[in-house]
Amino acid sequence: MTILLIFAYIFLILIGALLLYMTFKTDDRRYIYLAVGFYVIFPVIVTLKLPIMLSPEVKQLYDAVEALPDSSTVMLTFDYYPSTLAETEPMSHAALHHLFRKNCKVVTMTTIPLGGPSIAERVTRELAEEYNKVYGIDFVNLGYKANYVAVLKGMGTSIETIYPTDNSGTPLSEIPMMKDIENYGDIDFIFVVADNSIVDYWISIVNAQYNNPVGTGLTAVMAPRYFAYIGSGQMTGMLGGMKGAAEYETLLQKPAAANMGMTSQSLVHLFIIFSVIAGNIIFFMGKKGKSRKSA
Amino acid sequence: MSLIEYTQIWLEAFVTLSLFSFLYKDNPCYKITEHVFAGLSAGYYFGLIWHAVILQQMIDPMFDNGKWWLFIPGILGVLMFSRFSQKYSWISRLSLAFVMGNTAGIFLLSELHGKVLPQMQSTMLSLGFENGLGSFVLAVIVVAGVISTLTYFYFSREHKGLLGGVARVGIWFIMISFGAHFGYTVMARISLLIGRVQFLYFDWIGSIINLFS
Amino acid sequence: MKTTVPIIAAFLSGFVMLLAFFFNPETSALGKLEPEVLSWVTIVGGFTLLLGVVSIVRVNYSSVKRKSSGWGYKLATLISIFAMAIPAIVPVRWSSLFGTGTGSIYDWLFNYIDSPMMSTMFAMLAFYIASAAFRAFRARSAEATLLLVTATLVMLWRVPMGEAFLSGIHPDIPDLINTYIMNGANMAVQRGIIIGAALGAAAMSLRIMLGIERTYMGK
Repeated sequence: MTILLIFAYIFLILIGALLLYMTFKTDDRRYIYLAVGFYVIFPVIVTLKLPIMLSPEVKQLYDAVEALPDSSTVMLTFDYYPSTLAETEPMSHAALHHLFRKNCKVVTMTTIPLGGPSIAERVTRELAEEYNKVYGIDFVNLGYKANYVAVLKGMGTSIETIYPTDNSGTPLSEIPMMKDIENYGDIDFIFVVADNSIVDYWISIVNAQYNNPVGTGLTAVMAPRYFAYIGSGQMTGMLGGMKGAAEYETLLQKPAAANMGMTSQSLVHLFIIFSVIAGNIIFFMGKKGKSRKSA
Repeated sequence: MSLIEYTQIWLEAFVTLSLFSFLYKDNPCYKITEHVFAGLSAGYYFGLIWHAVILQQMIDPMFDNGKWWLFIPGILGVLMFSRFSQKYSWISRLSLAFVMGNTAGIFLLSELHGKVLPQMQSTMLSLGFENGLGSFVLAVIVVAGVISTLTYFYFSREHKGLLGGVARVGIWFIMISFGAHFGYTVMARISLLIGRVQFLYFDWIGSIINLFS
Repeated sequence: MKTTVPIIAAFLSGFVMLLAFFFNPETSALGKLEPEVLSWVTIVGGFTLLLGVVSIVRVNYSSVKRKSSGWGYKLATLISIFAMAIPAIVPVRWSSLFGTGTGSIYDWLFNYIDSPMMSTMFAMLAFYIASAAFRAFRARSAEATLLLVTATLVMLWRVPMGEAFLSGIHPDIPDLINTYIMNGANMAVQRGIIIGAALGAAAMSLRIMLGIERTYMGK
């Protein structure tokens, strides 16, 4: 088995080196594209299971949700576009698994006009079926309203004024679960899954003014920025990109899409590091050659 | 698997591969897919706003709950369309001013109360020996980083002397942060590709295998 | 008239929000007024999105009408807009295929055409970023080297294989990266940027409310 693994690694390295050499020789970037494609596809076909180490930010979020009393009310947001589904949907899935498992009442909403309500509807219905949860009693999808700053601020006083109906048009007054939920005061935790700077306003408006704990699942592009809010205690944990989602899946003992993607992720990262090193060696060798010629 | 499920998967695979074909070179298949995408997205906005805003937030409460005053934001909204007229486009300023003013009113306090003060407080209060030397060193790095970054972005004076020196330290900190951003961005982009490849392999190729088995 | 009235509207609309911040929404009339004003803002916000859609239709329609270059593609855009929008606004009581709910044409077009298109568009960036890393990511100066070294360390740290490699060198390395790079230097820079940007946003908000800032009115 070990010999097989060594051969596999040598094979992978050779492919990468060959394609980089071809890129350098022909100046055709499509060879790099081919390499990236190969490193993503290879682990999807040949599955390798890798151990996932846990980050403190993910553990903090998991612990915060775990510490909620059963039947707490949690707001889960679907603040992401379809473009980042591969990163964010595993987070929404993991969050819903955790919340439904704890019998929390889940209020979902979105501030994204392109696809937000459809994604929220599809994901919650899928997971609700698995846990036998009933719409209107265990979960509600509020849907979308325009101008997110006003939406976030307005729900602090009255959710019903901003959302007179749920996503499908049923008045909130006719939904049993919403009878006890008037504003943020009735919500125990806010789990924001987002791919844009709306998170800033969940913190600066909702957490700062209404004291709701806010935990987040963010795309990797955004994650570095939000370490500042973790450090200041304004954010209760964070899932950073697909790795964060994979860690949360590991904690839930429900490995799914994010875990599955980590081998491809590893190989492409290693390939890119290898390309950067190779690119720099070529650059410095070229520079040396030029200075020798001019001397 | 039903016929409709096959259609869905094959349609999804077709648009995915059409777009990926651009990696080889630009082609009509890519172009048409790109334009259809723009159209469908615009159509999606229309359907959503029609239901979520015009019907659910305005028309239904006006007629079912007697909230007649909601015709005011409706009129303000309609006034936005005056932008299409050169002569009357100034009317849309009223609606725009209403939204801008409101957002400004929220931001004026929330930016200071929810961002500036907590971030400054957290930076200043972290300096202390209570949590050991390691923690103190980290706090010093953070304080130095915050001050030097702010100095770097201070453009009202020329970056010379002490100011220039601190700004230079700021650049080093910024480079470290941007490096971290780059590392994370690589992960983000690869994740999206993994998502598509997982679809093509498990769903699309899976459907082909299913068809023949 | 053309400028003064909007400035007064901006001031009043913002001032209500400022005052409401200091009043109890449960007991004061101003507190109760706040969500109502905000719901108005969300309604006007919705119309601005519609304005965008109408604008796209106008631009594409005029291109098709003039048969300018690539008009066929623009026609595809127009057809797609109507294919999505018309079934969405037809009353759902006529058929479950209409409206925006699960199982509607609108939902189907989104889930099986629009959503995968958008996902793929962004997935293509993975190829470009890899190509850019090979062709442009050079250690030309001390600062660029610092950026490159940090990026490499973070890229290694964020994936299981890299994490295992770093732990193999020394078990504390992954923790050190998290503590000193992400929660140290990176956090400090982000804090600086957040503080600077927030001060700028607050100042800009005040300028808008006082009518000093008028660029949004085209001035």
